[in-house]
Amino acid sequence: MNHWIRPLIVAAALALLAGCAATGESTTEEQQTTQDATAQPSITAQPGQEAYSYGYGQAPVGAYETYDAAGGAAAGAGGRPGQAVAVGAVPADRVVYFSFDSAEILPESRTIIEANARRLMKSSRTVTQLEGHTDERGSREYNIALGERRANAVRQAMIAMGVTPQQIRVVSYGEERPAATGQDEQSYALNRRVEIVY
Amino acid sequence: MKAIERTTWFLAILIGVFGAMAAHAQITLDITKGIEGGGVPIAIAPFSGGAPENIAGIIASDLQRTGKFAPQPAGSRADYSVAGQANSGGSRGYVVQFQLSGAQGGQLLNLSFDAPANQLRAVAHRISDLIYEKLTGDKGLAGTRIAYVAGGGGTWYLVVADADGQNPQTILRSSQPIMSPAWSPDGSRLAYVSFEGRHPQIVVQDVGSGARRIVSAAPGINGAPSWSPDGRRLAFTLSKDGNPEIYALNLGSTTPVRLTSGGAIDTEPVWLPDGSIVFTSDRGGSPQLYRMAPGGGAAQRLTFEGDYNARPAVSPDGRTIAMVHRRGGRFHIAVLDLQNHQFRVLTAGGLDESPSFAPNGKMIIYSNGQRLTAVSLDGSVKQDFALRGNGRDPVWAPFAR
Repeated sequence: MNHWIRPLIVAAALALLAGCAATGESTTEEQQTTQDATAQPSITAQPGQEAYSYGYGQAPVGAYETYDAAGGAAAGAGGRPGQAVAVGAVPADRVVYFSFDSAEILPESRTIIEANARRLMKSSRTVTQLEGHTDERGSREYNIALGERRANAVRQAMIAMGVTPQQIRVVSYGEERPAATGQDEQSYALNRRVEIVY
Repeated sequence: MKAIERTTWFLAILIGVFGAMAAHAQITLDITKGIEGGGVPIAIAPFSGGAPENIAGIIASDLQRTGKFAPQPAGSRADYSVAGQANSGGSRGYVVQFQLSGAQGGQLLNLSFDAPANQLRAVAHRISDLIYEKLTGDKGLAGTRIAYVAGGGGTWYLVVADADGQNPQTILRSSQPIMSPAWSPDGSRLAYVSFEGRHPQIVVQDVGSGARRIVSAAPGINGAPSWSPDGRRLAFTLSKDGNPEIYALNLGSTTPVRLTSGGAIDTEPVWLPDGSIVFTSDRGGSPQLYRMAPGGGAAQRLTFEGDYNARPAVSPDGRTIAMVHRRGGRFHIAVLDLQNHQFRVLTAGGLDESPSFAPNGKMIIYSNGQRLTAVSLDGSVKQDFALRGNGRDPVWAPFAR
């Protein structure tokens, strides 16, 4: 529960900051786009905030230092073949892998999907977020669409197993959050996945 | 430039002939290698005076990068020469003066600027662009800017830098992914996708002030924002109805209008000057580019080369579409001429993605997911950006107004 409630709180805080009414995270209703346009001024760091915007030329020097470091660390001609990124790794029993260019559920994935479906059916108040991912090849926004197609495939399988649709939310990260940083088939296979997040 | 065009056409015909002989339907042209040894010699003398920037060095580097000039040391035999001074004084701190002369000594430009010390770099770029425009008739790019996304793996950055990659400025730092920046036509704002709250939303940020506004946070995908030519509307992708579809939002309104339908992926809309929209769709089984009228409806397929064409970008004159093109398992940047339907592969390929046209239409900047490269449309120049970190999703800003 904690894992998905926390982002909701942050999202709500962000919504308030941006002067918008609601984020629509907890409802299936169509999200109204925000037009009141209480523009958020250039802001400095606050605890718990996820993003900081700056006017051009106004970012503190420190922001650039971390950019340098992160840029170097994430610069990934580096990354050994199949090397996993440890940060925020999801347990293996909550990851469903896919073939290249495919959103088809593989037979070997059914056990993992069934186990998670049972968990959701046992506790009707539990909500899962299915996070779809792709490998880095091809267009980034098209990969967002492919990642969603994969997450929806897992969602449909769970619903067919008896899970209430309202317990499942879907988000696609495309190629933006790789599980492995190598530029090889082994890494690509680790990145074509749906993570089942509670 | 005429010679390059002629060479290109000759190569095109040659390859066309060979292709026909080999019975391949091959009408594309790889011009990645470029044309060696080109460039009009121009002698650039160090600026006297003692300004804290190497103005002559910046001008030489700017002109070199265009591929149309070969900067030489002062006193060399050259078709043109540049000399200048930068002295402290004037109302703002420095007075920069320069002269551009022809080989016979005739003066072509003689201008002066008042500038503070921290604007001397911008003045040097301005001088480069004045020289370039005087001698080629085209507007120069030295004074333009690019935006790109950097970082990843825990911290993401949206960066605005000069067109030479120098002077990078972070305008957004986030612990969640940032994607798909797009400049407003007047260059004052960037639309982008931010995953703050582990949920994608489309944000418009004023570049000067840093002020932000969320314009879409619907359930599902909020992606691929693109500005209409008049800057009053955004097209983007939403999947709130269950499938990725293209919408247009009047920025003075709250309700986006849906432009596509069907079970396929429709995404990556970009506006042509006439208001029609080019986008990526897999409605035919593989991702290809299509074009539809401003109000949506029936779409006409534009690409037929290979099994993957996506992420269109439109040239400023609306004549050329750049895209991500896959052949033989490699991703290239390719361009399609909408008038004569010529299709050309511009880059050697690998993981090339995210093409964006320079505002004079002469160059395309793109990424391989880690680094930025610019290539000229005529294939004569290829320029790798030396960034301090990584870079992707580059977008070339319009000319400042």
